[in-house]
Amino acid sequence: MISKQKRAGWLWVADVAGAALFAWGIADAVASWTGADGANSLALAAILAGGITRAAILLLVQRQAIAGAQASVLALRRNLFPRLLAQRGAIAASLGQSAVLAIDHAATIENYEARFVPVRTAATAAPLLVIGFVALASPVSAGILLATLLPFIVFMILAGTMARRASERQLAALGQLSGLFVDRIRTLGIIRHFGAEARITRQVQAATSDVAERTIDVLRAAFLSSAVLEFFSALAVALVAVYCGFSLLGLLPFPAPESLDLREAFFALAMAPEFYLPMRRLAAAYHEKQLGEAARLELDAIPAPPPPRPADAAYAALSVDNVRIEWPGSSIGPVSFGIGGTGLVALTGVTGSGKTSVLAAIAGQIGVTGGNITAVDPQDIAWAAQRPLVLPGTLHDNLVLAAPAAGAAEIQAAVRATGLDALLAGRDAGLDLVLDHRGSGLSGGERRRLGLARALLSGRPLLLCDEPTADLDDDSAAAIIALLLDESRRRAVVVATHDARLVAVADQTVHL
Amino acid sequence: MNHGVYDVTSHGHKADPFRLTGASRRVLLMALLSAVIAGLSAIGLLALSGWFLTAAAVAGATGTVAAFNYLVPSAFIRALAIARTVSRYGERLLSHRAALTGMAQLRGQLFGALASQDSRTAPDLSGGDASARLIGDIESLEDLVVRRPTRPANVVAALLAIGLTLFAGWPAALALALALAGLPLLLRRLAERLLRAPAVAAAAAQAALRIAWIDYAAARPEIIAYGLGDRVTAALIADAQRLDRARAALFRGEAAVASMQLGYAALVAGLVLALAEGGAAYVALALLAATASVEAMAAFARTAVRQASVEEGLARLAGLLALDGTPAADITAAPMMLALGAVRLAPGDRVAITGVSGSGKTRLLEAIAGLRPAVHAIAIGDVPIDSIDAGNLRAQTALSPQDATLIAGTIADNLRLARPRVTTTDMQAVLHIACLDARVAAMPAGLDTLLGEGGGTLSGGERKRLSLARALLANRPWLLLDEPTEGLDSATEADLVQRLGGWLDATGTGLLVVSHRRKPLALATRSLAIGDCETAASLPDQSMPAMARNR
Repeated sequence: MISKQKRAGWLWVADVAGAALFAWGIADAVASWTGADGANSLALAAILAGGITRAAILLLVQRQAIAGAQASVLALRRNLFPRLLAQRGAIAASLGQSAVLAIDHAATIENYEARFVPVRTAATAAPLLVIGFVALASPVSAGILLATLLPFIVFMILAGTMARRASERQLAALGQLSGLFVDRIRTLGIIRHFGAEARITRQVQAATSDVAERTIDVLRAAFLSSAVLEFFSALAVALVAVYCGFSLLGLLPFPAPESLDLREAFFALAMAPEFYLPMRRLAAAYHEKQLGEAARLELDAIPAPPPPRPADAAYAALSVDNVRIEWPGSSIGPVSFGIGGTGLVALTGVTGSGKTSVLAAIAGQIGVTGGNITAVDPQDIAWAAQRPLVLPGTLHDNLVLAAPAAGAAEIQAAVRATGLDALLAGRDAGLDLVLDHRGSGLSGGERRRLGLARALLSGRPLLLCDEPTADLDDDSAAAIIALLLDESRRRAVVVATHDARLVAVADQTVHL
Repeated sequence: MNHGVYDVTSHGHKADPFRLTGASRRVLLMALLSAVIAGLSAIGLLALSGWFLTAAAVAGATGTVAAFNYLVPSAFIRALAIARTVSRYGERLLSHRAALTGMAQLRGQLFGALASQDSRTAPDLSGGDASARLIGDIESLEDLVVRRPTRPANVVAALLAIGLTLFAGWPAALALALALAGLPLLLRRLAERLLRAPAVAAAAAQAALRIAWIDYAAARPEIIAYGLGDRVTAALIADAQRLDRARAALFRGEAAVASMQLGYAALVAGLVLALAEGGAAYVALALLAATASVEAMAAFARTAVRQASVEEGLARLAGLLALDGTPAADITAAPMMLALGAVRLAPGDRVAITGVSGSGKTRLLEAIAGLRPAVHAIAIGDVPIDSIDAGNLRAQTALSPQDATLIAGTIADNLRLARPRVTTTDMQAVLHIACLDARVAAMPAGLDTLLGEGGGTLSGGERKRLSLARALLANRPWLLLDEPTEGLDSATEADLVQRLGGWLDATGTGLLVVSHRRKPLALATRSLAIGDCETAASLPDQSMPAMARNR
């Protein structure tokens, strides 16, 4: 099926008909004026109808274009969001970068689809249709328009290549500049603290004027292609005007293949600017094209998920054997350990040493570069995060995310075990407490307990905990440690932590 | 809370704070001149062509070809085609030059204005959203500057078109004049009605979507573990569709403004035709001039469309530019006594601040460092901290903050922040104390290793140690350390604590340390509960201490 943005493009082609109606109206009005008929009501009607047609087509085109573009982007999001948020596989992007991919790039692609795709669709057919209309009145004028096309294309290729290189360099320079500017604004507090503001201000000023100078050099080339377009557009009008004028005067220096009357000549003249109009629209959308293509490339570069590891049977034991995980610029492991149906293993090491990555590898969420990990059915793994997920809904909804069938008694037990009952005691709504995705109203510690309660409720035999005691006060941390120790008698618990108190109670400690 | 966060609008400035000055202004005037020539030649080209054709036809029909001077008009037509091209190129290049140099200047000014604020009262731009919005605001202003010359040029072109229409009699010319005069008003009204609300809604929906995304993306392992991808995607798509609706309304609104202009052009042509009188050639001239002049007003439509979405941004920028503040003076002061609550600390004292997580220890250190307003009772040299100016406050303290806060640049750039012309030897010395010298020496580029934003290429522990080394270089009487050994293995931690202890002994520097790990707390000779910092001892406020006089 043809997309709405493409259909919008074909509507743009129909715009030529409105232009022709308008041009005919003007030509007819002027021609009948010479016959001393005065104002001609048919011509007047054609002028108005032509204008209204063009206005209506423009509205329709843009409505179709945005609807189509948003439909495309919606489909893109349905595919992209789960890939970024819920797909196994290494996505070494920061949260900020993933927001850029999901939100800013999607907006850029919407712009591309809505502003560039329709004009590109129209860019070939519309000028040909203009030629056709002009040829009806004056084949030679149509020939003149066509003849300007060839040198136009040659110049466009020359200037366009220069312009493209230039504008790519410009984009890069601007990106660097705004990076520096944003960084210095963000760190302004510490810059002031060390009394460096005067120096850094001078540095920022030097960098901005340097980039401005370089950008201006670049623009000289970048604007050449629009100048070429402008020139040929003006040339087409001038050539048609001069040819038609000389033809009407009978002063053509060559034998005339056609004999024009004023109506035909004027129509050809009024249509001449329309010939380059689709290409001018295309040039105006060039920036959207460039950005849109760059965004698509980046989205396409998101790696495909690794093939799922088939799990043989229900969880019995986990063995991690000489596992290495490599990213560009960092290397984790080799790491080896084993755990049976119960017990507590602490993965410890400095921040950035890869504790969370090892947990993710055990869960099959990221691939490993070397070594072996027992394949565990994803349904057997519970995950308690450092900052757990909160979906908009009630506290109850959020507790049973991984165990929708949990009964009231089980929920009460998990709530008590994780100390969430203290939280509920202080609030009237109880389990019906309404939460938004920010978890507003929950403290960091309460949110952590929510994640743990959810993991316990899931009843899964392997529990992975990421920094369960980070930023907690001594009492809260001690309670969580006792809870994990207790759970480790019922199930296998693997924690990533740099808390010495938690490491001290573990059955086994793995240093990364 | 910080005052004047960067989304406060309405500052009610009458004067244009973005007026270009000096060289940029001259360039903009030349751009204006080019735009005028471009506008005149565009209208002239079409109108003259129309007149020429019709006059030629009349001459051909009446047999007066010999008397018809065809060389001058046809030469003019070609000249106008070239003039239009060249002047349009000049206009674009010059207006961009003016905008770019003007905006470079504006960025510098803005940064200067922000840098000379007191951190305790300055607008908070540290969040990614706020700084990204600042960049966006500057870019849309740049866009407006680029478009500036086109509006007066359009007016001149409109006057030419009205003048040419006079050849077809004054009623037609008057009608065109009225129509053109009303157009900008009409465009502005329409843009205001159709675009303002969706522009505001789109900005709000975009911000909400970004916040939701960041939250969900942080919970990725859980989403995968519990198979919640579909639920989270559905929640996010609902947010995204709110954004889509606003953006679609904006897009359709822009289309309606452009469409109105097309219809208007036809209406004006019809009006001129209906009122025209005189010879056919002059009617042709008037018709084409009128049509082209409405099209030339497109710049008004574009500006009207842009205006709706940038006005708030411009108000924000104007507010920032209007901030006044004088940069804090660089002062080297004698070490002062520090009072926290009722406890008085002498220069050189070493104190651990204790308290449960979330009790405000970080906040206390940042307040002493002058980064944010104080909520605790703090006095330096017997003066309450609120009465001490930024320069005197920072002369007393050097902070290694919890999140390290490195600037994008090299390792040396970060160290120079604390001491401008520091020697390599001195840099090595502080890196040694911070146990980072071996790591830096092992990097191919050494001290010139480029760090990404936020210290990119270093690990969390390494960033922390670089930030410590930087604080040491500042040589201030009080060293403030927030979780200095977070992310270190215990052998390195022991080395660092021992070397730091030696440095403190040698320099006699005072220390306030916050840590949930035990080793760094051993650097302190006493500890102070955060709860005890909340109420002040009676401060002697009758005397005029040395520091306050320095203001």
